[in-house]
Amino acid sequence: MATRARVVRMEQPAATGGNALLVLVGLSVAFLLVVALLGAAKAGGSLFSESNLLYVALIFYAGAGALYMGFGVTGTARYVKFASTATVIGLVANTLAVAHRWYLSGRPPFASIYEMLLSFVWAVALLTLFAERKFGVKIIGSITMPLAVVCVILMQLLPSEVRPLVPALQSTWLHVHVTLAMLSYAACALSCALAMMFLIQDELRTETFLAWTSGFVSAIYVAIVATRFEKWGGLSVTGWDAKNKSDIFLGRGMRLFVTVPDLGWLFVLAAVGAIVPLLLYAVGRGKKDESFFAISNKAVFISILLQLAVLAAFVLRVYNASYSSPDQEGLYPTSLAASPFLLGGMVSGIFASLLYLMLLWRRADLEGLLPSADTLDRITYKTICVAFPLLTAMIATGAYWANRTWGSYWSWDPKETWAAITWLVYAGYLHMRITRGWRGRRAAYFAILGFGVVIFTFLGVTYLLPGLHAYA
Amino acid sequence: MAVSPISIPKRIYKTLANLRTGIVLLILVVVSSAVGTFILQRPVTEADKLARAYSPATLLWLDRLGLTDVFHAWWFMTLLTLVSLSIVFVSLDRFPNAWRFYARPYRKTDSHFRSALPNKVELPIRNAENGLNAAERALKKLHWPIERVAYKNEPSLYSERHRFSVMAVYVIHASLLLIFCGGIIDGIFGYSGFMALQRGQQVNRIELPNGAKKTIPFSIKCYGAGQENYADGSPKRWWSKLAVVKDGKEVETKDVVVNDPLVYHGLRFYQSSFGITGNLDELKLLATPENGTGREIALRMNEPVELDADTTVTLAEYIPDFFIRDNQVFKRSDNPENPAFRLQVKSKASADDAKLWLFPAYGENAQGQKTNYSFAFRGIQMGYFTGLEVSHEPGQWLVWAGCLLMGAGLFVAFYMVHMRVWITAVPDARGKLVLWVGGQANKNRDRFEQKFNEVLDAIRTELETATATASPARQENPELTLAGVK
Repeated sequence: MATRARVVRMEQPAATGGNALLVLVGLSVAFLLVVALLGAAKAGGSLFSESNLLYVALIFYAGAGALYMGFGVTGTARYVKFASTATVIGLVANTLAVAHRWYLSGRPPFASIYEMLLSFVWAVALLTLFAERKFGVKIIGSITMPLAVVCVILMQLLPSEVRPLVPALQSTWLHVHVTLAMLSYAACALSCALAMMFLIQDELRTETFLAWTSGFVSAIYVAIVATRFEKWGGLSVTGWDAKNKSDIFLGRGMRLFVTVPDLGWLFVLAAVGAIVPLLLYAVGRGKKDESFFAISNKAVFISILLQLAVLAAFVLRVYNASYSSPDQEGLYPTSLAASPFLLGGMVSGIFASLLYLMLLWRRADLEGLLPSADTLDRITYKTICVAFPLLTAMIATGAYWANRTWGSYWSWDPKETWAAITWLVYAGYLHMRITRGWRGRRAAYFAILGFGVVIFTFLGVTYLLPGLHAYA
Repeated sequence: MAVSPISIPKRIYKTLANLRTGIVLLILVVVSSAVGTFILQRPVTEADKLARAYSPATLLWLDRLGLTDVFHAWWFMTLLTLVSLSIVFVSLDRFPNAWRFYARPYRKTDSHFRSALPNKVELPIRNAENGLNAAERALKKLHWPIERVAYKNEPSLYSERHRFSVMAVYVIHASLLLIFCGGIIDGIFGYSGFMALQRGQQVNRIELPNGAKKTIPFSIKCYGAGQENYADGSPKRWWSKLAVVKDGKEVETKDVVVNDPLVYHGLRFYQSSFGITGNLDELKLLATPENGTGREIALRMNEPVELDADTTVTLAEYIPDFFIRDNQVFKRSDNPENPAFRLQVKSKASADDAKLWLFPAYGENAQGQKTNYSFAFRGIQMGYFTGLEVSHEPGQWLVWAGCLLMGAGLFVAFYMVHMRVWITAVPDARGKLVLWVGGQANKNRDRFEQKFNEVLDAIRTELETATATASPARQENPELTLAGVK
């Protein structure tokens, strides 16, 4: 078999030391744990509460993510070892959190978006370890761990009380349906991460990654500015009723928005900061002038700094403050918990940019540390071969359950429709691959698109297109 | 260019049988479904909410384009029909080839075939028959079915597993059509409606979504309904005690709760809502004779209750929210906040007919004409109704059958591999006799390589033992030749 031609880069000496990152991550983890421990001891109550366990999981997942990325940059084998260990510890804490909740409520944690995220993160962490051990994809954690971190941050903000099951959810089918959903979604997440690994291995030009990353970050900030920018540069966020721990509602399904003055301009700035690298890339492509890419890379740094600044400003301004509302007289409090998806979007943007940095600084022989492109392509396909039947079974059980509860197996509810769209997208992938022989890059893009649709079905539909499927 | 009349159906067939057409149709379905989730839809959204969300002009155009009810619009139905036709035609187009392959698998090991096959190994042997026998024993041990094939007097072995898996893809597409068929049958013959029942009521009519009434061949009687709450006040359970009454006889009873409907003769009754009717169910009173102890009685509208052999009391009027003008009692609203009750007390002996009023908000005792009894208010029980969603879906069994079939089809298609092995004894390039072993799988090639190596190892072992028993003195390692690419 002919070995594929490889772009020759400067051969770097194998990193021998590389303890700096380990020490840094270790110290951060230890510091955060000690601070949390002191806080928990001061507040009293059980140390092994669900939120404490989740916090531990969050810290270890974040540490693991940093180490996985560090491995991508330096290629130090020890980083992966420690990252794996951190993932395992995070998974154990996550498992304990699931078990704790299960024990408290007497049922599996499947009944709200919070509980589903809890199970989803668990499945993602498990599959990460599986992919690492079974397929030898060592840096897949650099994609799945940030995903897990974003999900855990979202969970910290979402209402998490154990609520009794409403009558419609009291069914065995709840467990079957949601288990299948979480397994298939996690498998889709894995296939997406594998497809990204394939793109790295396939020597996709760094600039192309730059374009995708900047496009993704720009989309986040443009969407935020488009929907939340208010007159005179304010940013509208949901009001928060601290006593009832819920958003403030004006009427049925109508949330009260408050305006944080001047914050809107910062978001515009961040949006511009994200668009500039994209524009520079486009100009560079148009003029076929590589020097633009170098400037573009510098612009990415500025964009990351801007994003961090915006995140900090957002947290400081929105955390526990009161603002006036355009809809109703008076001052209304707001809280980070009222804007989980704004925060989730910002954190995702930062992670995406950091991932790009990892690619920019990646070791020249990173390709050698990953399975071959063919293998990655094949296991992406295999993962989808697992995800697709699970997705089918999820939809079928959902239809059967709906028939018992709502009197109809298909009512074109937004959640149902988007589940069907997800199914069709993956069906399209399978057809293109099997009959048209789509391999490699096109198939990888398709797999990433598929996971985008999954995330929209999972989280987007719940918040943007509410319908019958209102629980999650 | 003139088009001959025969060629038009053929062209339509060719277009729809093209996979590219199918993919384009699928993309159209995806896009229009997505649009249908973003634009508010007619039957589920109330008219005034739509009017608030869109300007009249926008709404007019959305309605004209069928975008406010995408999933029932004629063009969406057409799209789904075209997808179904495309599935049928693509399958028809490809089926003959697949069937030929399935019905008459290629068993021969001619030299053309041998050179084209990617997975092949040559093992040196001395005797053709002994070599083939050894291979047969090896395959038998691994539970592969074996066929002896003779082609041009060259004996060979053919073995395969899971041949049916090549047809799984047709099963999957057929199952999809089955699900569509179920949906179409339900769209044409199925219906759904609503039935509201109060305790004791017996109803055989359901209200369809368009407001029309439909009579069903039996009636449903309600023996009670209720709601149970969790400690925090959120609902835990809604239930209705229902009975099916046919020709005056109760043929079935069931306690219906959410998630557990009553099914009778293809009609399913779901617990869907529960509420207060605004009508009075019972008025509870303490009736005390002039010199005696009182007892509690429950009155329903216009149903006389006997107090003693001579006297009866009837609840003659109920006003949920009253006011008084010119010494007359009038109704202000339907909210049961400030009720008034008119009682009628009759005495047979004196033919007396006394009228009393009871205003619980202004004192618990009834007042008015003199009677032998005094009445004190003890409480009211408002009437409630249970809302039942009724649906008739004769096609649902096709849908479930389709789902099961699809599950089976997907399992076979993704996880069962059609593996084939050909073995023959031929001279190799240098003229030495070898046992030629070739194999192929239709998917999951790397896994197949493992299986293939397993087979090869078994054959080698068999060959070695055969050589060892035939001439124990001359034991040597058979020289292995690896041909082709792996």
